Amino acid sequence: MPDPFWRNGMIGKREVIVFFAALSFCFIKAYAAENLSDLREPYNDRYCTTCHGSDGRGNYGIKAPRLAGMEPWYLKRQLENFRAGIRGTHSSDREGIAMQSMAVKLSDSSITDIISWVGSWDYVATEITIEGNESLGQQLYIQCASCHGANGEGNEALGAPALRGQNDWYLATQLRNFIEGWRGSHPQDSLGQQMILMAQSLQNDDGIKNVVSYINTLSRK
Amino acid sequence: MSRLVTRRELINLLGATGGTAAVLQAGSVLGLLPATASAAALDLLALGSTNKKVAILGGGISGLTVAYELNKRGYDCTVLEASHRCGGRIFTVRHGDLIDEIGNRQYCEFDDDPHMYFNAGAARIPTSHRSLLAYCKELGVELEVFIGENNNAFLQDDALASGKPLRVNDYKTNMRGFLSEMLAKSMSEQQMDEPFTETEAENLLSVIRSFGDLSEGDLYQGSSRNGYASGGYLTHGVQKDMLAFRDLLQSSMGRIALSAYEGDYGPCLLQPVGGMDKIIAGFLSKIGGQVKYRAIVAGIQVRNDGVEIAYDQGGARHKLQADYCFNCIPTHLAVGLDHNFPIDYIKAMKYVRRGEAYKAAFQAKERFWEKEGIYGGITRMNNSSREIWYPPHGIHKDKGVVLAAYDFGGGSYFTKMVQQERVETHLQDGEKIHSNYRDMVEKPITIAWHRMNHMLGCAARWRQSFSGWTHEEEQMYNILQAPAGGRHYVIGDQMSMNSAWMESAILSAHWAMQDLDVRVRSEIAK
Repeated sequence: MPDPFWRNGMIGKREVIVFFAALSFCFIKAYAAENLSDLREPYNDRYCTTCHGSDGRGNYGIKAPRLAGMEPWYLKRQLENFRAGIRGTHSSDREGIAMQSMAVKLSDSSITDIISWVGSWDYVATEITIEGNESLGQQLYIQCASCHGANGEGNEALGAPALRGQNDWYLATQLRNFIEGWRGSHPQDSLGQQMILMAQSLQNDDGIKNVVSYINTLSRK
Repeated sequence: MSRLVTRRELINLLGATGGTAAVLQAGSVLGLLPATASAAALDLLALGSTNKKVAILGGGISGLTVAYELNKRGYDCTVLEASHRCGGRIFTVRHGDLIDEIGNRQYCEFDDDPHMYFNAGAARIPTSHRSLLAYCKELGVELEVFIGENNNAFLQDDALASGKPLRVNDYKTNMRGFLSEMLAKSMSEQQMDEPFTETEAENLLSVIRSFGDLSEGDLYQGSSRNGYASGGYLTHGVQKDMLAFRDLLQSSMGRIALSAYEGDYGPCLLQPVGGMDKIIAGFLSKIGGQVKYRAIVAGIQVRNDGVEIAYDQGGARHKLQADYCFNCIPTHLAVGLDHNFPIDYIKAMKYVRRGEAYKAAFQAKERFWEKEGIYGGITRMNNSSREIWYPPHGIHKDKGVVLAAYDFGGGSYFTKMVQQERVETHLQDGEKIHSNYRDMVEKPITIAWHRMNHMLGCAARWRQSFSGWTHEEEQMYNILQAPAGGRHYVIGDQMSMNSAWMESAILSAHWAMQDLDVRVRSEIAK
């Protein structure tokens, strides 16, 4: 068996120990100089897809809507409203409450980053889960069209987001929330208050189903 | 004023149910234990020169079980784990650890000591969970006793004893005494001679008397079982005052005091020395090199000749081709992926609801509970925090980590609160038990499983009703258990009828691997 290298006459055992002791001291110094938080598991705020599905396609399992294809101005307003508690604070707004607590700690730069991230996702057609009377829905939609556009394309100037291409179950949930006043009733939510008034014309679940099934036809165009 | 139940009515009640007589002849079946009592050895074919690639989605215990077992048989396994750690809901929180709750991220500030940890998910191992225990043995995971039931812990209910916490022992001894007295008196009636023989009746009566520590004349007159008011060592013990039966009935806590530690929750329970994630570390010591971390699955396409997985890692999209896929991603997240699952498969995935369990813990500056004679065990409260767990490990050390709340779900009460509200509630609840609680605890952590990144839920809930599974639910369960396209298996405790247990997750993996094995054997035989 060969001698350890400190026995070969070139270097003494003691010197080796001193050398390693000095080396380890340098390491300790280096670590101590670092901020402790630098050693911790890092994270960023790009966690949208956990709930909203891969590439923001929407996830029925969490009742989280499609983000892919969402207008940047609308996404920004929604995130800011959730963060400020203007949306998602009514005790009956189950899904909104979940979103509100997730948005509450977002910084302005995180919101900007999220919007650019969402912009990188390609829109894929949503599944149709609600079927109603499309022609009755078309009649009901006339009122919606004045703000959201004849083809559900949205209107930034009026602050009305696009409806076509959105998950139909999400549209139905939000229409119900507006009718009940669970969404949009915050004093600072003037557009939401407008929607509460508008949504009353749908009257009931059938009205919601019909108008959403008509919006589904716009999505297919 | 509420009416007293007479002895006669009690006898009639027993007779009317027919319960006891009906099972008198059933003694022979009592020797049977539940099916999980033995750890079935996996009989899986070793592949030899055949090459099979397996994609495992999620590094929870079911996924790691598959990786470990199939790796042994020569399969080429890759585990894609979305987060920075494996284990899923087997999560031991220590100094510096990240708790990745969306909207409420925390770093744990506990002291950096081996016993200063908190099992935020799985926290106890029933000794009937033989498959899990077999892995602990095989992987060299050292185990120690976990203490659940502790007669010296407390029960607290504002409706009971003016809200003053009672020792479990005081409640239990008195309640058992009163119950036994009622039973013994009913036994002395001639009507109860049937259907027992004289010997049976005598033995039954002796069980009843000793269950409640009855004195002469079958009366409960207090007991030394809950200790003495004073003395008992160098002087005669002075018996404690009896509690009033009617007072005990002002609270429903007795249900918990007398039956919370039955079945899977009963003694003897075990835990790994140093934290539940030692089990995960055991698996990773064998197959850790096959795990990709921060690899978030984006798509699953089941083809005739394999499964194609898309995943995001390091800012890029990657593809993974496999012959088979084992998927322990929670079903409520899996439905949001780019998939081509059959419609009825998706319907079943969408049906399963997310569990809402919540836990919290404090670092205790002193082990104040030990000064009250409590070593391990659980205090039960009729308030929102529900439970306080005293660590069975680190006994007599300076500090410890105490569980401050365990809410099993239903309405996400704490989940909806911000961190400060959660912590304040636990402090207020704990103060009802230990008056110095607020001063004794620090460095809180909370874990709302409903919001934990990459999981968004605790144990899956298949049943909508407490009364049992409906036919439709069983059908959906069977559909989801069978592999999609013969190649994609859903695994995890979600794919069991007894979710929330590690044993269930392991057995779901075993079921899937046995099914795979049949398919692979027949393919190789061709």
